[in-house]
Amino acid sequence: MSDLKIAVIVKLEPDFSEGNVSYNADGTLNRAETKSILGPHSAVASSAAFYAKVKYGARIAVTTMGPPIADTALQQAQLLCDADELHLYSDRMFAGADTLATAEVLKTGISKVEGGKMDIVFSGHRASDGETGQTGPQTAWKLGFTFLGNVIDYNVDMQNRVVRARRMISLQGFYDVIEEVEAPLPVFIAIDPSYKASFNTVSQRLAFEKYQKEAKERAQNYKQYLKIFNAQQLGVDPKLVGLPGSPTIVYKVERIPKAKASRKAEVVDGSSRDQIAKVAAKMYEVLGGMVIK
Amino acid sequence: MSAKYEHLYVVIEHEDGKPVPVSLEMLGEARRLMNGFNKKYSANEKVVALVLGNNMRRLCEELIFYGADAVIYVDSPEFQYSRNLVDTKVISQVATNKELAKKFSDASNFIKPRYMFFAADNIGRQLSSTVLADLESGLASDINKLVIEDLEIKHEHKTKGQAVKYEKTLEMYRPDFSGFLWTTILCLDNRNPAIEREYHPQACSIIPGVFLPIERDTSRRGVITDYIPKFDERDLRVKVLDRKIVKSAVDFDSCKAIVSFGRGIKDSSEQNIKMVADLAQALEAEVGVSLPISKKPFAVSEGVSSTYMIPDRVIGTSGRKVAPLLYIAAGISGAMQHIAGMKESGFVVAINPDENSPIKDECDIFIKGRMEDVIPLLLEELRKQKPAIEVKK
Repeated sequence: MSDLKIAVIVKLEPDFSEGNVSYNADGTLNRAETKSILGPHSAVASSAAFYAKVKYGARIAVTTMGPPIADTALQQAQLLCDADELHLYSDRMFAGADTLATAEVLKTGISKVEGGKMDIVFSGHRASDGETGQTGPQTAWKLGFTFLGNVIDYNVDMQNRVVRARRMISLQGFYDVIEEVEAPLPVFIAIDPSYKASFNTVSQRLAFEKYQKEAKERAQNYKQYLKIFNAQQLGVDPKLVGLPGSPTIVYKVERIPKAKASRKAEVVDGSSRDQIAKVAAKMYEVLGGMVIK
Repeated sequence: MSAKYEHLYVVIEHEDGKPVPVSLEMLGEARRLMNGFNKKYSANEKVVALVLGNNMRRLCEELIFYGADAVIYVDSPEFQYSRNLVDTKVISQVATNKELAKKFSDASNFIKPRYMFFAADNIGRQLSSTVLADLESGLASDINKLVIEDLEIKHEHKTKGQAVKYEKTLEMYRPDFSGFLWTTILCLDNRNPAIEREYHPQACSIIPGVFLPIERDTSRRGVITDYIPKFDERDLRVKVLDRKIVKSAVDFDSCKAIVSFGRGIKDSSEQNIKMVADLAQALEAEVGVSLPISKKPFAVSEGVSSTYMIPDRVIGTSGRKVAPLLYIAAGISGAMQHIAGMKESGFVVAINPDENSPIKDECDIFIKGRMEDVIPLLLEELRKQKPAIEVKK
């Protein structure tokens, strides 16, 4: 076991997979009928942390802010990364927080509960429901950690305590850039959805199997690893969390008005071979084809 | 007397000496908003472009032509590439610098900008988050509509339930993940005495490709102000070792046709995706997807999933904007967020069993039917007709 300490921030999110997700008639998400799971980006962040466990023997704490039921997200994350500790920051006072107020809780949790000794904090790219992608970088800034976003892979130089990471940056109207960066620990890494760990050496593969087995056992008894902290135990300033600590509010939610029809469609019966034949001919015509008679 | 919070600051992104298009789009919208603002409130608040770069003075002049009243330019070799840490530090310094604001306005009471815009891309999304964490104010992401209004607000926390008038409030509209709902976000001071606190700037990140730049006008004049940044070694602790330009494996720009699919594949997702791929092959088309597909809502084989259900293929405001000669939307209902990405296409064919879905108003031919029934028939016909037709390259 090395002295590398890692925290992973995860989130319980609606399960968008077919069979679990439920939409209202108007196409919006039916939250009451949709189950919740560990968010897919949180799962990628957990896998990225597991890589450090396999490769460097890191010690991992998974943390989340949410209602008591969010402990299922911690359990699912533990299964992925063999977490040594699970921390749930849960208080009615935290409800309704925007990203800044959420980051305040996560910052306080990570710096107090974990003693401020973290070397790397991982988060997902963005949540599937809120989709702001703001909570990660804001937590990083409040922690005073170097923020590295869109990270597609990383390694730690344990001797010099330096992270080397590759980032994928898309630029509108230009090209994509893969940037290789180096930063001293501690760092905060928001992991890109395309991240995939690879284990190359025999010893890594053995460690992988060992920790994976351990993760299964631990996740079955995840409550042994779980600690729940309320606002008072965390010692957060009530003015900086939840609704009072949120600069932003949701003022209104409305259905996006249907745009004026921009084209006049010819309706074709999809079961009529004759009509489909005409559509096929039209497609070739549009593509600049020439009918050779 | 000047206000504590004034002007609209726009954080400009650039690459290879040229502005990223969204930068000019943000300036265009900023110009329109502040023209309206200054007229409505008889004010003279400015659109201020903020540029961090190296040898970028010509770009600064361009920004004036595209709507900025003033440009604050921070030149340093350290700004050749964007780095979150040092950029955040310097943007915060600039945004809270009264002396700089005095170069283009009275600013005697200036504390911070009133409004602030960032791009909702890989760089701006993160930069906006850290800058606003540093400035301790509110941020809304992925905005596609903006309105400035005086609003009467009654809020349990913000106003302790009392009706309070908030002047010059920026209504920030963001489409949700479904593309069917619009959420309006406001950044408001706490006027409740128990938790009193001022939150400025009101800031947001703006989706690329939504707003129009103003027409370039070389007769426009403005102030370009230099700022010498303050940072130390610790702020430069992230080193960029290498930078490689990569072309996405998905090439929407040079193909003549695109076949996209959405949640309509659901009844037999694996087979339907393969069928869409066959159709694309027959037309030498690229395959696109709607945003929900990139969340991998269907269990399909790993190969199919990693080839097709990926963010790189998303067409819409959260993905790419495309304009092929032929666009085929199979099993796509036509959420606004998708339409915005394909409406410039030449000819649009939709395949959908539901004649009430919004895509019907956005296509030239609407084939009514389930894709699993229609596509095999269409493929047959395309193959049958192909020998008689020569597609010009």
